[in-house]
Amino acid sequence: MVVCRCEEVSEAEVRRVIRMGYHSLEAVKRVLRTGMGHCQGRGCLRLIARLIQEETGIPASEQKLPRPRPPLKPLPLGLLRDYRDEE
Amino acid sequence: MKSSADVVVVGAGVIGAATGYYLAKNGLKVLVIERDFPCAGSTGRCIGGIRAQFSHDLTIRVMMESVRMFRGLSDELGEDVEWYSGGYLFLAFDEKRKQAFLDAIAIQKRYGLDVRFVSPDECEKIAPGLDPTGLIGGAHCPTDGQANPFKVTYGYLEGIKRLGGRLVVGCGVRHVNQLGDRVVSVTDAKGDEYACNMVLNAAGCWADEVGQMAGVKIPVTADRHESLVTEAVERVFDPMLVDYRSDGCYFVQHSGTGHFIGCYTPVPLVPGHNVDATDEFITEMPRRMVRLVPRLAGVKVLRQWAGSYEMSPDGNPICGGTPLRGFYVSGGMSGHGFMFGPALGKLMAEQMVDGRASIPLDEFYLSRSFGKAEAMK
Ligand SMILES: Cc1cc2nc3c(=O)[nH]c(=O)nc-3n(C[C@H](O)[C@H](O)[C@H](O)COP(=O)(O)OP(=O)(O)OC[C@H]3O[C@@H](n4cnc5c(N)ncnc54)[C@H](O)[C@@H]3O)c2cc1C
Ligand code: FES
Repeated sequence: MVVCRCEEVSEAEVRRVIRMGYHSLEAVKRVLRTGMGHCQGRGCLRLIARLIQEETGIPASEQKLPRPRPPLKPLPLGLLRDYRDEE
Repeated sequence: MKSSADVVVVGAGVIGAATGYYLAKNGLKVLVIERDFPCAGSTGRCIGGIRAQFSHDLTIRVMMESVRMFRGLSDELGEDVEWYSGGYLFLAFDEKRKQAFLDAIAIQKRYGLDVRFVSPDECEKIAPGLDPTGLIGGAHCPTDGQANPFKVTYGYLEGIKRLGGRLVVGCGVRHVNQLGDRVVSVTDAKGDEYACNMVLNAAGCWADEVGQMAGVKIPVTADRHESLVTEAVERVFDPMLVDYRSDGCYFVQHSGTGHFIGCYTPVPLVPGHNVDATDEFITEMPRRMVRLVPRLAGVKVLRQWAGSYEMSPDGNPICGGTPLRGFYVSGGMSGHGFMFGPALGKLMAEQMVDGRASIPLDEFYLSRSFGKAEAMK
């Protein structure tokens, strides 16, 4: 099963990495890019938190979400530049 | 006493991971202790550029060795580290910068680096889409390149485990314990003590903090560098572009995925460890990128973030022993720690095991006088 569609990461890969000792959403994100795709993790972080809970016993509700990294929607370089020019 | 090791490595960024790996290859029992998780520090925020174009002799020699090692690293580690030899193109927009490049090239050529000063036309051929307005030429080295910092670091850490070493995450080193004039153990934040003969301080921008635990002052300070990544697009060009103007920037297209990734050095610098991203950067960086390569205007930005450069007083690494016997440091990478990883890892391991590295590191010693600054920071 694919858990992160944006970065095409499977459940088996996520479980393998958790078993290697990466026990938080941030740590797994650094290995597999889960949460770094177009949707910025909206599609996958909750699923991965559940897998971490299953593998380590750390409750999903107690897991820290990766720091949100703007922009929340992808925007073209040219548009961001124009925003600067108008300031 | 929790357990013992020949050497405790403090920090699982690229420097701790690589040095730990070569120490383990030298037959030492290695324990890596990481406060957060691997790549939690600067390594996980870096853009993956690798180059031998510097102005300092030792830096050039060490980086030529690192490039050689990067070429074979996927085989060495059994993990594709995404090395790609796309080159680096440094751009000159004024005579002074051109002269600085020519001076550096003269030194680089002494060591046999494949590098030359190219005309604006050639720059456009090397980086199609580059706007040559105001450009008077560039320094180009095709053997420079890029690799994936995460894969390199995890590859080294898995290698350490294969060689019988260990990685402990989630709890930092709190005390470095000494008996007489030498190191005997470290104690972590939970109070667990690990006996060892040697400690390597590879704590990145926290090197001074860890140094203080051993009573050793390490002159490393953090300053913030921001970064952004775009969506993946079809291949545009190969090299890392470096524009040193005060409102310049540097960026590269990731060879495998097609994302553009880049940063700039703020003027004035923003001192202190701080990973907040700013609105200024997310609008200013696009302006600088699109000015250099107008055809990128339609490419979308996915994400921005920030991290620390671990600066030494002269912009060169600080590697070697300290006044406390058994306590070593490898830090102050000044924004180039990823590319230094393989070579400095290997050389520091030699230094710690044999007392001397095959490329002598004296000019990087903590005891040097911090003089002339690196011209190609
Ligand atoms: C935006 C940006 C772009 C960059 N681009 C490049 C580039 O293109 N090429 C390049 O070569 N370099 C680049 N760099 C620089 C590079 O990232 C760093 O020089 C390098 O990662 C430093 O590695 P390190 O292992 O020394 O430190 P870090 O990766 O910071 O690792 C230090 C580790 O020590 C841990 N630690 C701290 N205190 C303790 C303690 N008490 N106990 C246990 N663990 C502890 C930390 O949690 C951390 O994981 C860039 C940096 C930034 C911020
Ligand atoms: S589904 Fe994982 S980043 Fe979008």
